[in-house]
Amino acid sequence: MLKMQNVSKIFRTELIETHALRNVDLHIKKGDFVSITGPSGSGKTTFLNLAGLLETFDEGDYFLDGVNVKGMNDNQISELRNQKIGFVFQSFNLIPDLPLFDNVDVPLRYRGFNRAERKERIEHALEIVGLSARLKHLPTQLSGGQQQRVAIARAIAGDPAFLLADEPTGNLDSMMAQSVMELLEKINADGTTIIMVTHDDQLAKRAGRNIQIFDGQVSDRVIDSSDVLIQRA
Amino acid sequence: MFSYNISLAMRSLRERAHLTLLMIAAIAIGLGLLMTVKTMTHQSAKVPLAHKANDIFFIQADNRELTADPIVRQPRMVYLTHRDAQNIMKASTPAKAHASVWKSRVILNSLDKDVRPFRSDMAVTNADFFSMFDVPFLYGSPWNASSDASAEPVIVLTKESNALLFGNNSVGKQLRINGLTVTVVGVIDDWDLPSQFYDESFRRGRNDTAFIPDSLAIKSNIMRNERMRCLPQENALRASFRSSDVQGLINSECSFVRLWAEMDSSGSATKYQDFLEQYVNNQKDLGRFPREMNNYVTSLRDMLVMRNELFGGRDPLIYIAPLFFIVCLLNAISILLAKFTRKAKEVSLRRALGAKKWVLMGQYFTEVCIIGLIGGLLGIGLSYLGLQGMLHIAVYQSDYTVSAESLREAFALDWQMMSMALLIALTSTILVGLYPIWRIINVAPAAQLKSQ
Repeated sequence: MLKMQNVSKIFRTELIETHALRNVDLHIKKGDFVSITGPSGSGKTTFLNLAGLLETFDEGDYFLDGVNVKGMNDNQISELRNQKIGFVFQSFNLIPDLPLFDNVDVPLRYRGFNRAERKERIEHALEIVGLSARLKHLPTQLSGGQQQRVAIARAIAGDPAFLLADEPTGNLDSMMAQSVMELLEKINADGTTIIMVTHDDQLAKRAGRNIQIFDGQVSDRVIDSSDVLIQRA
Repeated sequence: MFSYNISLAMRSLRERAHLTLLMIAAIAIGLGLLMTVKTMTHQSAKVPLAHKANDIFFIQADNRELTADPIVRQPRMVYLTHRDAQNIMKASTPAKAHASVWKSRVILNSLDKDVRPFRSDMAVTNADFFSMFDVPFLYGSPWNASSDASAEPVIVLTKESNALLFGNNSVGKQLRINGLTVTVVGVIDDWDLPSQFYDESFRRGRNDTAFIPDSLAIKSNIMRNERMRCLPQENALRASFRSSDVQGLINSECSFVRLWAEMDSSGSATKYQDFLEQYVNNQKDLGRFPREMNNYVTSLRDMLVMRNELFGGRDPLIYIAPLFFIVCLLNAISILLAKFTRKAKEVSLRRALGAKKWVLMGQYFTEVCIIGLIGGLLGIGLSYLGLQGMLHIAVYQSDYTVSAESLREAFALDWQMMSMALLIALTSTILVGLYPIWRIINVAPAAQLKSQ
């Protein structure tokens, strides 16, 4: 489903090279809920950006839904990203002067759906996140938790195979974080693969699988029913 | 996607509206000045009597002394002597008709003592002038060839001088020019000429408010208020040639008569050139025309081309206006760059949500086009105002016999210029927008979307 083989990412300046990710080998199956943890600067966000096709990698192969993205041009990558991936960001990244309806509409526009299909998908996505009554509200008229729900609605409106969440609860209080987490679990239960970067161990443990990144290197663990982390073979 | 791009562009233009207005104002002001200058240049380069500008020819023969300046290009203001003009007009030539023109400045005086006399430029010509140059008549008609032959005391007025002297149809009425009583035979209607070409001045607007036969002017000794080029030994007699010694002038080598010939084809012009060479050769045998052959038969269209080549680049505004426009565009590009840079996060988000680069390019291209279009339309409005201002200045600078109407054409913003203005606005805005668009669509999305 999502397979990385020996993937490396190096950031270069004139003076130094920084190995953000080294020889990552990873296989994430359809329907997995994977949490990504690790200290600041360890390469979590870089990993998520690579997985989300927002950045290119220097070495290795990356297969997304069976498609090798290596060598793809910008148009192909954008299309793949639009069809297969939904993003949820820590700071929501909603467009402030667009109503909720239009915010959720953005990825669907680029997908080329017709007006009726877009409307149906937007209303359905907002219904899932419990905001179907606020189609015309602006993001600034909502609480942080509600804004993140809109961002989730935007991410799932196009039925992506993957939902990549970068600290989705990082800007929320514990109650709101709890509700957003429940929403993500519900979406995962419906079949969407979720990869979530988090600093919160408790939230990380709620995922079925945890990937730790340290100094650009990945260690993969499964989580059993008693929340015990077990190193994967 | 096009309508989506339009709605996004409009939203973007409303955001930080003051920057948008500043950008549009910069383009409009620069374009306004550019189009004001371009329109004036365009109008002054317009060919008078375009439909027959290839059939009307200006005749020049250089009778100057041997020591005169050498000819490096076809000379301006080398005309014909009165006797050469008359000889050529009477000879058998390939021309269908000839019109000779020279200028005087006279006092036009109504017989009605309540009407104030006024001083005005007057063209001295012959009957064929009016048909050759398609002169429209409001009242009456031109004089005829027999009036030329008999030096009949007749006059043709313009609409303006007729209004000043009589107020209504003056055909058959009399007036005095410098004490000579003449009868009005015709009044010229609005004569739509880009410039007064027939006296080779090509000046904007028409100054001549009266026309009389050459034969009458010579017979009645009407003053030759004219630039005359005489041989050095004749310079002392110049004053008497102007005011009293008509016969002396006719026998002199002073050239002041513009001669026009109307022909059917350029083949006739070649034959006319041969005729002219033959004529000058004959005159050489009589001891005249001491220099090498410098005779010219030039179409009206070519006259204007030569004139534009000679004088087209003299107005400093021609150079200042495009530079000013470029400065305005540079101003606009920096504002656009600042405006687009602030959108880096939104662009990154759209890229993350699947927007292809060319789709985003289309979005910002649409925005730039709208800015160019609005700037262009406002620029057209400003250039209209600029031209109106220039028209008022030109009217103020002219004497009272020049009507604003006769000048209006030279400051008119036509469809051709308006289309050009829009094209310039759109093209230049797109060109200056390319760099900001390229910058914004190539922003690295990951860096902008990093959670903080």
